[in-house]
Amino acid sequence: MKYIIASLAFWFIPLIGYAGAKQSTNTNPVTGAKTWETHIDGVHFSLTQILPDQLRAFYVNRGFTLKQIEPYVSSCVYMTVLRNDSAPGDIHFISNNWSIFVNNKPHKLKSVDEWINYYKKTAVTKSAIIAFRWAQFPPEHEYKVGGDWNQGMLSIGLAYGATFNAIATWDIAGKEFKAKLTGVQCAKK
Amino acid sequence: MLKNKLIQHCALLLTLFTGVSNIAHTQGLPPLTHNLTTVNPAFLAPELRFKDLDDDVIDIKNLKGKVIVVNFWATWCPPCRREMGSLERLYQATKEQNVEVLAVNIGEDIDTVFSFLGTIDPSPNFKILFDTNGDSMKKWGVKGLPTTYIVTPDGTIAYRAVGGREFDHPDLQKTIIKLLK
Repeated sequence: MKYIIASLAFWFIPLIGYAGAKQSTNTNPVTGAKTWETHIDGVHFSLTQILPDQLRAFYVNRGFTLKQIEPYVSSCVYMTVLRNDSAPGDIHFISNNWSIFVNNKPHKLKSVDEWINYYKKTAVTKSAIIAFRWAQFPPEHEYKVGGDWNQGMLSIGLAYGATFNAIATWDIAGKEFKAKLTGVQCAKK
Repeated sequence: MLKNKLIQHCALLLTLFTGVSNIAHTQGLPPLTHNLTTVNPAFLAPELRFKDLDDDVIDIKNLKGKVIVVNFWATWCPPCRREMGSLERLYQATKEQNVEVLAVNIGEDIDTVFSFLGTIDPSPNFKILFDTNGDSMKKWGVKGLPTTYIVTPDGTIAYRAVGGREFDHPDLQKTIIKLLK
């Protein structure tokens, strides 16, 4: 009997949790950068604005010129955290499959590969591209239960000040789970 | 134009005074955990052969018989920086027991890394290796920084940690020491 209950819980708790997951928002008192976060099915998901000047300073320090990094800076970039605290199993995700909605219309994320290919056609140095690649949130990964996590940059590809909803998805042994953040705002210019 | 100059000055100041971006300090960062996840089935550690800060070539093949903590990192990676002090405390607590720590820096030069190490308390005494092209990432299956592997004395990978950890936590140290028995 307990196996049946456990099995049912595995399939239905995600739906219950998704409907009832709480989202919180906070603002960094020093920088004004905002964070949207949620915790659902044992997984933490958050998006924190990276302000344009923070991005410029970061990438100029890594070897980009201001002109080279500007297309990325103006693409609405977040410090993204996904962490498997206590999910019912190991989670696997492909971040490029995550959904972004602007006014209920789907918006496609620009992938890390697209950015890399773009910069490889410019005069950006190899070491700067390596830093760029590994500063991004992983395009794909598996996190074991108990605290595997990553923190990295995610380019949404929207204009300064735009508002959107984001749905991060992952699977556990093929079963899909979701975490939704609503009313997320791109940093202003 | 004036704004561009200001940003360049800000970037320069950041480099001079901290050597790193201030992005990490502006985030509500999640706490570091102290769990290692089992690699099952365990597999042989891939090759790892790079120069260290003293320009000596370090080859993981020559370290058989020791437990090796292989940490992939970069100075600009906030969780990497946060865990660096705990890696040093782990190293100090276990180096007499045949534990080696190799921190493989990805894509940066010696000057950048050296100035960063001076900001860490305690400053690392373990070996820092330089993978300037990031070639080891694919071989080791690293998909994000930091990632750490624990290699047993016979050269197989027993544990992995994706994301920052408190390496000086007693539970984590016990797990590593047990591999020596």
